[in-house]
Amino acid sequence: MKKVLTVLGLMVTLGFGAPIDGYMQSLANEAKKADASFKGFDAVRGKQIFTSEHIGKKGQNISCVSCHTNDLKQAGKNTFTTKVIDPLSPKANKERLSDVKNVEKWLKRNFNDVYKREGTAVEKGDVLTYIKNY
Amino acid sequence: MKKYLIIATVATLITGVSLFAADNKTVEKVYQKECGSCHMAYQPQFLPSRSWNKMMKNLDNHFDVDATLDANDNKTILAYLTSNAGDMKGATKHFAKMSNSVANNETPLRISQTPYFLREHRGVPKRFIEQKEVKSLANCTACHTTATQGSYSERAIKIPNYGRWED
Repeated sequence: MKKVLTVLGLMVTLGFGAPIDGYMQSLANEAKKADASFKGFDAVRGKQIFTSEHIGKKGQNISCVSCHTNDLKQAGKNTFTTKVIDPLSPKANKERLSDVKNVEKWLKRNFNDVYKREGTAVEKGDVLTYIKNY
Repeated sequence: MKKYLIIATVATLITGVSLFAADNKTVEKVYQKECGSCHMAYQPQFLPSRSWNKMMKNLDNHFDVDATLDANDNKTILAYLTSNAGDMKGATKHFAKMSNSVANNETPLRISQTPYFLREHRGVPKRFIEQKEVKSLANCTACHTTATQGSYSERAIKIPNYGRWED
């Protein structure tokens, strides 16, 4: 029993079972289902998604960087409203990636704002991997 | 006996009121979190309830931005907005001016396009509005330093790169 508890404790300490990991696993499953050759998420692809510019929902060139800046450990600013946005990196802001409902909400919204479509499971996983490891 | 009844009634009323207040506070928190992360959480009294109804139905295209919420949060916020709207009984006189200036057959989505708002801001030069610290008339807090507390008094106006505003 004691052993089980120790293992459980270790898992929690190591971050296993964090809600965001469960969500990313479900994205990975979805990706694998869509394409059997899927090998896993990639922060480099995530960075590309995050930094590249597109004609967004407002009809002007925009990227994630437009509001979140290039440095995810710094606060950003909504380019349309000037409202300050707290840092995206969980290393700088422990609230980030802690609430899956919130993560899903913003991924859907911001993919639509920048790409005018919802992201695929691979794209979402890649960009989350980039943010998580920043 | 009568005395106890009165005490009991008063106690029930107090509990009821504080429960209601607590509930209202939680809802306001949801509103602040969900709507206030991109822009100031505008006081619901600024628009009539029909405007909020229309707004919350079209969050997938909220001024060309996707602001969709899950169905539950949408419902909670809509109820908060409409029950505190400018055309509701509880609306304070000053605040309701904005909403009351709207013609009955109109359903504006921009507070900044209501006749009262336009009247109040007509003397503001474009260069004050278009500068990067302000960007648009929707950015209340850029100049109204106490806007989030619901105070738009002239004494609390401070325009970036200009200073106090006097009519």
